[in-house]
This record gives sequence, structure tokens and C-alpha cells, in this order.
Amino acid sequence: MIETSRSGREGLLIVPLGDCALLVRFGDSLEDGANRAAQALAAALDADPIAGVVEVVPSLVSVLLRYDPAATEPFRLAGEIALRLSRPAEKPAGSHRIGVRFEGPDLAEVAAALDLTIADFIAQHCAAPLRVLATGFAPGFVYCGFHGADLTLPRRQQVRPLVPAGSVLFAAGQTAIAASDIPTGWHVIGQTDFRNFDAARLPPTRLQAGDLVSFEALA
Amino acid sequence: MSALVRIVRAGPLATIQDAGRHGLLVHGISASGPMDQGAFRQAGALAGAGSGAGIEMTRAGLDLVIETGAVRISWAGGAFAVRINGAALGWPGAARLSAGDLLSVTPGSAGNYGYLRFGARLDLPDVLGSLSTNMRARLGGLEGRALAAGDRLRFEDGAGEPGPIATAPVEDGPIRFIRGLHWERFSAQVQSQFVGARFRISPAMDRMGVRLADEDGVFGGQSILSLVSGPVLPGDIQILGDGTPIVLMRDHQPTGGYPRIGTIIGADLDRFAQMRPGSVLAFEPVSVDHAHRLLRSGQT
Repeated sequence: MIETSRSGREGLLIVPLGDCALLVRFGDSLEDGANRAAQALAAALDADPIAGVVEVVPSLVSVLLRYDPAATEPFRLAGEIALRLSRPAEKPAGSHRIGVRFEGPDLAEVAAALDLTIADFIAQHCAAPLRVLATGFAPGFVYCGFHGADLTLPRRQQVRPLVPAGSVLFAAGQTAIAASDIPTGWHVIGQTDFRNFDAARLPPTRLQAGDLVSFEALA
Repeated sequence: MSALVRIVRAGPLATIQDAGRHGLLVHGISASGPMDQGAFRQAGALAGAGSGAGIEMTRAGLDLVIETGAVRISWAGGAFAVRINGAALGWPGAARLSAGDLLSVTPGSAGNYGYLRFGARLDLPDVLGSLSTNMRARLGGLEGRALAAGDRLRFEDGAGEPGPIATAPVEDGPIRFIRGLHWERFSAQVQSQFVGARFRISPAMDRMGVRLADEDGVFGGQSILSLVSGPVLPGDIQILGDGTPIVLMRDHQPTGGYPRIGTIIGADLDRFAQMRPGSVLAFEPVSVDHAHRLLRSGQT
């Protein structure tokens, strides 16, 4: 028997993830509303923590709550979560300017696939700030979105086994920044000196979900 | 008690671990920590290690020598062979070692992971609240890497006192799991076949994950595409695009986009981690309530 519960929001699901965590999922496709709802719940949990919850992890369309099973249980947690869903909080968004050298190996191919010159692609890419959707996949790796439909491409067919830290990646209506060396199937469009991970600092990352990022083309 | 210890021989992927680097998933960092937490705690009680870091060994074991000083060392986890200056001792166990003593741990009859813990505090830099090695992220331990022959570890006063060890009854039988986020996305046939089918631990296993051979072809040709990636945890059973099940372990990626049919319960994850390649297992679903009762009755 799966312990799920649904509330008023379309697509909302609270499910156990093992015996020490619950996942609150706001949708099963990546769209702006679900992402903002996840961030709002994480902010509400930050402002008004639930006893027994030891970690809150906002992600693209969901929020993970790790709990201490000696201190609470899923039924009580679901009630506390519902309470906070009814009064979502908003965290003040930070804003960041990130310089990018647009010279990635896939830049020309991306521009061509979008029917743009390279200069036009760069201009459109940097025209408006993007929102940090989540950190995930690897230390300090951030997903930023969303680009409009006219600036949306699927991932590459081939995965590159390793791209260096600082790679600026583009796919699925988003731009991502690698903070460490990673494999990726995203298009590599540029490089930045910005590093969103420093193990010597606590917290180790600078970009938070909800922050605004303005990309700037460096000569 | 303080001591300088030199690694004479390190089996592959022996690492420094403590209780783990918890609370950093939001920054893209999994918690790491011991693959067999119960054995890590048992060794800790034998040594009086307190919350101190120890060494996680893989099947090949490890040899070390005390260069200076003296320290209480304990061993537990799986079944390895242990000798001090050539004399065999029981597993698990503990002894006080002094300068010149050689401790040798060699392969034994069961398990993938053994632990050495120390009655003194390992003097290494704290990285984001933990000494645990995360090789994927190259954090903690010795420069984020596995131990190697020639490495020296310094131990200083400041651990706890030896205490009684809890010996949990050895569980057998199926590995129990909680049905997962994507359970409903699998067909009724796959759901019913998954429970009770034979899976075999494959040699493709490490601290990040354990691949299983799907001997009964439960997931043959099945793939569920285009899931939004989300947070994952140790014990999550994800099904790759080619139908291969992989159980995520302590150094897992922070998020994953493959469908997860379930999550192994806390009470069974240590036992799963110790299953050697070639071992056969079956999965059995349980409720969260049941898993919590097992946690309360078993460890800690």
C-alpha cells in the first residue's frame, strides 16, 4: 500500500522516499509553476521548520524532507506540510552577474539549429536574467531557466564523458553551469570563471534556488 | 594516547569515513559515510572511538604499522582475517597497539566492507563538517582520495571510552523496500514480478551504486523516459534505460532522473551493502510503519 496524499493543487503528491524521507512533488513535468511552488514550500519550511525534519532539499519540481523516524512519522509530517503549503513563503532573491566567454564547442551548432547567427544567439541568450531553478546533479551544479520556446533545444545525442568546471551548458530551455568536471549530454556553449562550489566555505555554494542570474558575454 | 600510523598496504578504495556529511544535498553533495553503518558503530564501541573517523576497507583488506606512540584499534564488519605481528585474532575485536606493531587485515569469508576504528581522534582537516571521503566530489579524507601505501595518519587524544557492543540478530531473507515515487509508472506485471524475482549482485559495485543482474528479466526492454530529475537517497532502486536495476549507495549523485521503483529500508541497507557479487537476492515490499518498527527494535 503506497502512502500518498493529494491536496487541492493539481499534480501535488506527497510520497515516502524510503523510511527516513518524504518527497513533496508539484508536477511530473518541468514547468515554471511547479518549480516556483517547490521553492515557496522550501522557503516556508525554512521560515517555520517542522520538528523532526533534519534536512530540506528543494529540487526542480519537488522538495525532499529527511526526517528522524524516532522524532516524527509521515502522517504527522504530511499535516505539517499541508499547513505550510497553505501559506507559502517567499525568500528575497539574490541576483548575480556571470561573465561568459561564448566559445563552447557546440555554440555554432546551437545557433544554427535555432536559425540564428552566433551573435544573435548570444544576444538573445543574455537578453533577460534567468532564475536559478535548482542545484543538483553534481556539487554546485545549477539549472537556470527558463528560455522561451524559440530558444529551446533538446539535449545532444551523445554524452561528453567530461567537460571542465566552469562549462556553460544549454538544453531543454535552460542554461546550466558546471561547478566541477562532469559528464554531460547538454550543449557546451561557453566557459565562465565563476565557480559555484568551494569546499572551504560553509555554505559551499553561492547561488540559491530562486536567485536571478544575468549572463554577460565577455569579449 | 596518540600515535602515528602508516598504511603499509591498502586494498582498492579503502577510505576514511565518519558518520557522514549530512545536510548538504541542497548544495549537490551526498552524505557519504560508512557503507555498513551498523558495523562502523560496532567497531566504534570496541575501540572507544566516539564520533571519530575510521577506515573503511574493501574486500582486499589493509595492512598498517604503528610508527610511534600507541592506540587502541578495533575491527568489525563482514568477516575478514586479522593478524597482529602474525598472530591471528578473532573478528570482530580490538587490541592496543604500540610502536612497531603490524596490523594485517586480509580477505575473509563474507562481506565487502570492514572497519578499523581507533581510540583516539584522527587528525585530518574537517571538510564541510565531516572527515568522510567522497571520491566522486573529491572531498574529505586524504585529499578526497582512497588510502594508499605510504599514507600516514596521526591520532591524538580525545576519542571516547570503549563500550558494550550491540549484536543485532543476523537477518536473512528478502531485502525489504518501500514502494517508490515511480512505482505506479511500472506496469502491474512488472510490479508483481519485481517482488520475489531473482536478482544477482553484479561486480559493478562501489560506494556510488550497486548494479544488479535482472536474472528473471523483470525489466527486459522496459524503459520509462522523460522524468524530471529529483533528489535521491541511499537505497533508492533506480531502473536504467536498458532495464538494469542499480541501487544507489552512500556516494550517490545528489539527484537522479531514472525511474525509481522503491527504496531499500534502513534496517536492510547495511546487509545489502555487504552482499558480495554473485549473491542472489529478492525484494519484498513493506510499509513505512513496519520499517520504523524494525529500526526501533534493531540498531542503536
